[in-house]
Amino acid sequence: MSLFVAAFGFGLVSMSVIAIAAVGFTMQFGITNMINLAYGEVMISSAYVAYYLNKAGISIWIGMVVGALFGAAFSFLLNRIVYAPFQRKGTSYLGMVIVSLAISLMMANLLLPIVGYYSVSYQEGTGGLIRLGAIILTTNQILIIGIAVVVMLLIHGLLKYTRLGKAMRATSANPTLARNCGIPTQRVVDAVWLITGALCGLAGVVAALNSDSFAIANGAAFLITILAAAVLGGAGQPYGAMIGAVLIGLITELSAAAWSPEYKEVVAFGVLVLVMVLRPQGLLAKRGAMAAAG
Amino acid sequence: MDSQQRVEGRPAPSLRAEHVTSGYGGVPVIRDVSISVGPKEIVAIIGPNGAGKSTLLKSLVGILRVTGGRVLLGEDDVTNHPPEDLAKRGVGYVPQVNDIFEPLTVLENLEMGGYLLTSAQVRTRVAEVGDVFPQLPPMLKRRADKLSGGERKMLAIARVLMLDPKVLILDEPTANLSPKLADALLTEHVKRLASIGKAVLLVEQRARAALQIADWTSVLVSGQTRLEGRPDELLRREDFEELFLGAGTSTPASPEEDDDKR
Repeated sequence: MSLFVAAFGFGLVSMSVIAIAAVGFTMQFGITNMINLAYGEVMISSAYVAYYLNKAGISIWIGMVVGALFGAAFSFLLNRIVYAPFQRKGTSYLGMVIVSLAISLMMANLLLPIVGYYSVSYQEGTGGLIRLGAIILTTNQILIIGIAVVVMLLIHGLLKYTRLGKAMRATSANPTLARNCGIPTQRVVDAVWLITGALCGLAGVVAALNSDSFAIANGAAFLITILAAAVLGGAGQPYGAMIGAVLIGLITELSAAAWSPEYKEVVAFGVLVLVMVLRPQGLLAKRGAMAAAG
Repeated sequence: MDSQQRVEGRPAPSLRAEHVTSGYGGVPVIRDVSISVGPKEIVAIIGPNGAGKSTLLKSLVGILRVTGGRVLLGEDDVTNHPPEDLAKRGVGYVPQVNDIFEPLTVLENLEMGGYLLTSAQVRTRVAEVGDVFPQLPPMLKRRADKLSGGERKMLAIARVLMLDPKVLILDEPTANLSPKLADALLTEHVKRLASIGKAVLLVEQRARAALQIADWTSVLVSGQTRLEGRPDELLRREDFEELFLGAGTSTPASPEEDDDKR
């Protein structure tokens, strides 16, 4: 029994990492209509940016901030230079997915000669162990959970209470009408790429910090879990992605305890397939896309 | 100058289209259409399904590309200006469908309508449009997709009024409304908006209802202006019934034009 309680603790950390990543991913889709398959590679690139800073003796917590800034800048430019021109030319939905897949492959292969095949890890103490009954977590893991909670609250506040956040939801719901209202949707989309890019970069560093080591290949694995959480919650919806992250995070860790850690991703996709069969639109329907919670 | 600007008794136009040609993907749907609307005036565009009425409106508000002719706002040429710019310049547009932000609350819809205003101005305008549509203030926190058809259309018009536009462009505001609601919307609200000085350009399937409130009417058939004039003059013409009312539009059953389908 205590094994499952401990797994629940790990689940809390997993869901935190997945939530940060999945909310960014799903907002890109919800507002800009872009299924950005390069998301995992941007995550891993940000993790490496933090890694090199860390190697130079800079604290990983500062590296995390720099990683987030790198993710924001990179995603913004990725959209401006690659995605937006294709979208303006009227490239189909599927065409855009292929474009992002191409970017993802290019990034992975360009990174390879720079960072190498080998797994690396941050030089950062895990911090002390904190016990809550059978749940044992490191200080770093507690901090990761804290960061995720703060980020989710900030995203909620942004979408619900700020002019920019409401304009994002309006643009997501009805881009033509948004323009008729005088909303500069182009600038809104730029803001979306900056904010979601920051989430992506932050998630990359947090995910790397939470694993013993990481390598380029992790980019694709990140993407799979994020896709599962985002689609599970209902594609394009931040609150859905949060729920999806909670479910995927918990279920994979519990299944790892019950069965074997190697099958975590299999279980994640099993859950996804099951939900898709029972509720194809995801847990929150598309009608509720970018809706205010509560 | 267009013939219609010389008509006596019509105000100087706030918005006018001169010989506009426009359509989808290079295929013109409307050809050489001219129309104008001035302050305190209601101009109705009527015509059978697929005549290009919605296409004309979309060309005027920057959603569709104008390939020939020009659009003037006062003296400024605003042909193919983006919708954001036209909103800033005082053109308000209520589309026939997708006329509100469904996942947003009523208040948030109004806030987005007033996106270009300061937050203090938004608060003032929300109160003011609340006076115009007293049904709305009690439901500000409700999600817009939970509204009834009539409430929804009022929200759509209220949203566009947030910026206090000079020109109001309404695409079949009475589609999907019961005959009673449709009458109320046209005779109360639309008429009042014109009386406070707005230039109202409206596409309407309910031809008779439109003729009752309009100061000027344009009949669009197959993408071209077939007839125009004061409603009473039009009704006296022998070919009017044949042209328009005979074209199967006396039943306002179909809320959408062919060119509206996506």
